[in-house]
Amino acid sequence: METFAQSLVSGVLTGALYAMIGIGLTVVFGVMRIINLAHGEMVMLGMFGAFWGQKLWKLDPFVSLLVWTPLMFVAGVLLYRLLLRKIIPGGELNTLLYTAGLSLLVANLALLAWTGDYRTISLSYGVTVRPFGIAIAVPLAIAFVLAILITVTLGLFLSRTNLGRAIRATSQNPEASVLMGIDVERVAMVTFGLGTALAGAAGVLLAPSLYLYPTVGELLIVKCFVIVVLGGLGSVPGAIAGGILLGVVESLGAVYVSGAYKDGIGFVLFLAVLLYRPSGLFGAGR
Amino acid sequence: MKRRHLPALLGVAVLIAIPLSIRNSFFLHVCILILMWTVLGAAWNVLGGFAGQVSFGHAALFAVGAYTTIILYLKGGLAPWWGIPLGGLAAALVSVPIGLLCFRLRGPYFALATLAVAEIVKLVALNWESVTAGSVGYLITTLPSVRLFGLSVNWEAKTPFYAAAVALAVVALLTTGWLRNSRLGAYLVAIRENEDAAEAVGIDTVRAKVVTLALSAFLAGMGGGFYAFYFRYVDPDAVAGIGLSMEMVFIAVVGGLGTVGGPLIGAVFLTAVAELVRDRFQMGHLIFYGLFMMLVIRFMPEGIWGRVRRLTAGATAGA
Amino acid sequence: MALLEVHGLTRHFGGVSAVSDLSFSVNEGEILGLIGPNGAGKTTVFNLVTGFIRPLAGAIRLDGQSVVGLRPHAVARRGIARTFQIVKPFPGLSALENVTLAAFLRHPARRDAEAAATAQLTRVGLGGRLNEIASRLTLMDQKRLEMAKALATRPRLLLLDEPMGGLNATEVDDASDLVRQIRASGVTVVLVEHVMKAIMRISDRVVVMNQGEKIAEGHPKRVVEEPAVLAAYFGKRVA
Ligand SMILES: Nc1ncnc2c1ncn2[C@@H]1O[C@H](COP(=O)(O)OP(=O)(O)O)[C@@H](O)[C@H]1O
Ligand SMILES: [Mg+2]
Repeated sequence: METFAQSLVSGVLTGALYAMIGIGLTVVFGVMRIINLAHGEMVMLGMFGAFWGQKLWKLDPFVSLLVWTPLMFVAGVLLYRLLLRKIIPGGELNTLLYTAGLSLLVANLALLAWTGDYRTISLSYGVTVRPFGIAIAVPLAIAFVLAILITVTLGLFLSRTNLGRAIRATSQNPEASVLMGIDVERVAMVTFGLGTALAGAAGVLLAPSLYLYPTVGELLIVKCFVIVVLGGLGSVPGAIAGGILLGVVESLGAVYVSGAYKDGIGFVLFLAVLLYRPSGLFGAGR
Repeated sequence: MKRRHLPALLGVAVLIAIPLSIRNSFFLHVCILILMWTVLGAAWNVLGGFAGQVSFGHAALFAVGAYTTIILYLKGGLAPWWGIPLGGLAAALVSVPIGLLCFRLRGPYFALATLAVAEIVKLVALNWESVTAGSVGYLITTLPSVRLFGLSVNWEAKTPFYAAAVALAVVALLTTGWLRNSRLGAYLVAIRENEDAAEAVGIDTVRAKVVTLALSAFLAGMGGGFYAFYFRYVDPDAVAGIGLSMEMVFIAVVGGLGTVGGPLIGAVFLTAVAELVRDRFQMGHLIFYGLFMMLVIRFMPEGIWGRVRRLTAGATAGA
Repeated sequence: MALLEVHGLTRHFGGVSAVSDLSFSVNEGEILGLIGPNGAGKTTVFNLVTGFIRPLAGAIRLDGQSVVGLRPHAVARRGIARTFQIVKPFPGLSALENVTLAAFLRHPARRDAEAAATAQLTRVGLGGRLNEIASRLTLMDQKRLEMAKALATRPRLLLLDEPMGGLNATEVDDASDLVRQIRASGVTVVLVEHVMKAIMRISDRVVVMNQGEKIAEGHPKRVVEEPAVLAAYFGKRVA
């Protein structure tokens, strides 16, 4: 029972961070109908941002969030303006292939610059506390709280501001939003910036809890697909639920599913959902 | 003899002349790699280029071929010329249920599903140790002693592998060429252009896609079987990684989606980049793959071969 | 016996009941008008009959044989062809290639298929644009292309989804003549159309739908005078 509670708690903590990555991918898909295969690399850049911030400027990783999130937003906006905007009209498969290329490029440039070494970030407060006998790593707990803060802020932005509402409207019905006079181009740009910023921020938050290496994006993007498909592509609440679900399934799987197939649970679930409930576990069904 | 067959004949003549005239074994090695990549690029192109079904999981099919071939050889003593086609056949068989499942999805959803299937296949390869030898993999230490036309085949020379690679590449290109002119090929183009419209005019899109996937898998599986014998080593990381899938995508995209000659051009490109860069820094070639893929999609989505064909067609039409 | 019989056809989308308990039949050789305000469920009926969408309940029979559960290509093979309200050409292919793909259904040899395709294109008035890329055709011509594709599958029953939407008066007359001529060649037609002039002139019988249900059926002139129909179109309350 105690192990169960333990894995449940660590699953939820990691799951919230997964959710953040998933939200980034899913809002971009919702608005632009593109799947950004380079999304994992954005997370990776956030992780390395936190790492170098600490190493070079003695910046606390969680404080560096204030630096990297806006920077990643700008990077996303530029990426959209300068590169993606010209590709998207060529169709969704072209865009998919293009971002696949981008992912290869970024991951391997990072490999060239930083080598393939596994790195970790150590924090003075990187200890484990045991409330109610459940072990919780402090950095992960902090990351969890910040992830929730960021997600709530995002939710408020999407529901309370004009721009946020425009993003949601575009996501629900692109044609109608054009008719309603929404500047779709600007919405797309901001959305892509947001998606990138979320990925980067999630990377920063994850950095103290994971090994970081340049090709970690490959692993993360696959998790990210699982999350957004579980929740229904394009749905923000879905991504939150999907992220937490995956976090919990993974950590329970690590304990209860013996052997090496535990990584497969996620994929099997993913395929099953993709095939039988393409609008996600929580969506309206076919 | 029709005029349009001339380039193909010329190509075959050059392919035969290469090992006879150049005895540099590194050069031959590069040629073998190009031909192997041509087969793999063509395999991907049949499905991705003609039918517009982007797969990020073709490494799985390659892996099935590689494992089948090497296991048949190590455990059953089956010679390469049986083992490689059987590897292709095994991949084709495996691809049918995969296709029936994944083709229920369209566009990017299909692409994601193939990614998941490939990851599952890799996990199986890692963990089904009684069959796949897990992460240790299989190693071929001795190749069979074979006599051909009264001479014993010298496996240490590259020539036998070169001959096999030429044969496979010719099969791959002929298949693609046949497909382009066939009714099935026309159906695939229809599916790429608009799947609903294709169904509406009576095209069984699922069947067309499954058959094409099987064809594609057969080629990819034979590529895997060839790989097993040439590199004499098969393990999950080498034959089932996502990197390999991406390389197949790269070849087809850069060479020219839905063209016959494209994969050959893409393969030359890929191999040249890899060999030029690899000495300077490891993995550096992947930077260029990514970059070129982006540039090609941005500036010539029809690929190098597609562009060349369009330009030459324009020139002859204008003349 | 009727060529097409639809009985108790039902399909919901989430909370919206697009088609509910709909029954009608189409007699061999007639032109049946299927009308109703936007969102009445007409396109959904076509999608159900041609297998693009599965019904939740109901029977669909062509010549007494059920076509429920068949995939669209199989329905086409049985002899039901359709056009799409929002045209769906193969955009990057020429007009001839577009229609040849449809003609393959009855002519496996490419040469025969191309000949049949050319004949259908000429019939709809695209004989001079065989090599034009479909995406470059005008909307009018794309609608004609849509029709040529459907005809090239040599259907017994042709379902036309607003083939005249967006056309001007002369074009509507041309299209009406074409539909009549198609019927004269032995093809039964179901016509969904908002252009009432055309419906009144060429259909033998009309079925009126509103909110997924059949609200009237009969001779075009008489049906449009029924109170339920007027109410559906003009929003008046039915007494
Ligand atoms: N694929 C679908 N998913 C969800 N709702 C649909 C779908 N197709 C049609 N509908 C809904 O069903 C109703 C009937 O639509 P439709 O058949 O297109 O009407 P019509 O062709 O008569 O204008 C509408 O409310 C429409 O929004
Ligand atoms: Mg309609």
